[in-house]
Amino acid sequence: MKKLIAVFAATLMALAIAAPAMAQSAPRIHLIHGIPDTPVDVVVDGDIVFADFNFGDTQDLSSLAGATLVGLQVVLAGTDTVAIDAGDVDLPASGNYSIIANLDADGTPTLSVFANDTAAIDAGNGRLQVRHTAAAPAVDVKADGAVAFSNLSNPNEAKADLPAATYSVEVVPTGADDPVVIGPADIAVKDGESLIVYAVGSLEGGSLTVLTESITGLGAAPEGVPTGNSPVESGMPLGMVAGMLVIATIAVGGGLTLARRTN
Amino acid sequence: MRHRIFALGLVIGLVLAACSSVSQTPDETSVSTPAPTVTATTTTVSPVELIPSTTAAPSRSPLADLVTPIGSAQYDPEDHTDDRSIPVAISIEGIGVEEAPVLDVGVEANGDMEIPGADGVGWYRFNATPGEEGSAVLAAHISFDGQPGVFRYLADAAVGDLVSIEFDDGTTSQFEIVELAQYNKQDLPTERVFAKTGEPILTLITCGGDFNRSLRSYDDNIVAYAVPVGA
Repeated sequence: MKKLIAVFAATLMALAIAAPAMAQSAPRIHLIHGIPDTPVDVVVDGDIVFADFNFGDTQDLSSLAGATLVGLQVVLAGTDTVAIDAGDVDLPASGNYSIIANLDADGTPTLSVFANDTAAIDAGNGRLQVRHTAAAPAVDVKADGAVAFSNLSNPNEAKADLPAATYSVEVVPTGADDPVVIGPADIAVKDGESLIVYAVGSLEGGSLTVLTESITGLGAAPEGVPTGNSPVESGMPLGMVAGMLVIATIAVGGGLTLARRTN
Repeated sequence: MRHRIFALGLVIGLVLAACSSVSQTPDETSVSTPAPTVTATTTTVSPVELIPSTTAAPSRSPLADLVTPIGSAQYDPEDHTDDRSIPVAISIEGIGVEEAPVLDVGVEANGDMEIPGADGVGWYRFNATPGEEGSAVLAAHISFDGQPGVFRYLADAAVGDLVSIEFDDGTTSQFEIVELAQYNKQDLPTERVFAKTGEPILTLITCGGDFNRSLRSYDDNIVAYAVPVGA
């Protein structure tokens, strides 16, 4: 119990220290469940932090940035059967990270940590980050029929900034055209957003699929709006010109009237 | 710090068993929990017969209050389908714009917004469609290659003028101009003009101010902001 309080206190201190820096770039740490059909509880120092965490669910750990998770374990939901024993884990104090509970290439549950690329993206583009976190051999990722990322293996990632558009994406074994092991699926790469796609599950278990998360607000507006390359005659719409003439006529007429009166 | 993060992957080779029918919340003092059978191999994942037993629930971590569930990362085709109605024509009361064609445009190689020729209006496809959250940007020339552009008289529009947008699904939406502004091009407030979030606003842009003959460009942008009628 003492240890627990110590962790909690350390967390609060870390938060207090982190607070002034947050104005610039708040830490973002997400934990994603990437093992199909396996509800789990997440345990720190013997106590449940969250229970019944299901495939695809995401937890925001940003408030724990800078803290140490003492004796982090992932156990099968409602049991004390340990699936992943991660030991003491120091969470980064700043930056943008995703942690995924996934299968390694051999099918053993593990935690993988990825630093997310939050560099600015040019106007009209989006970023695609693809991560191999599945129990499967190396793959090629095809977008609209052409290989976009080749020979990607667990636990690696590939990424690119692309024109914002919807791509038809499929995953095939490296160097092969078939079988298509994931997809084809429409993947929308949006302006100014980074879309992170995780290949998860098991080839052998027939559970290969994808999980996605996105980071928004990385984009830029166009540099300018060039809406004229030739001069215009100083002029107004005909209706307005006519209106002005009427007003001018009245003004002149009125002026003359006034002038007469003063005489 | 980085090696410690990446040293996370200490794993024990237990096989995971599916145990879907029993869930547990930390607030319960005692729950039925399955007793999974753990097989000895590390390659097969097999369903397991659940034998309920009663055990004391582990206590709830104080860290539980500091984490937030934020939904599912499962692939949803709807997130990857662009089913917006897109603008195809615009009319602006008072400045002689009547059902001018609207084309969807993006970004030029030099980073500028693409603008159609003299007869068209460009809708910036990477921002909102008119009426959606954020700024829907429509831009047209004041003058192009000696021809008057569709937004030739945008500077003469007035607050209260109505703008009508026709969509590709045959519907029409009305907007009302609420503000007119003229900015030096260097000072165009791009965060406002190209806002992705916030109240729906229709932002109409053309050029204005002095024409610089050597640059073949105007010094200023004219911007008219309009909001949905009845909003």
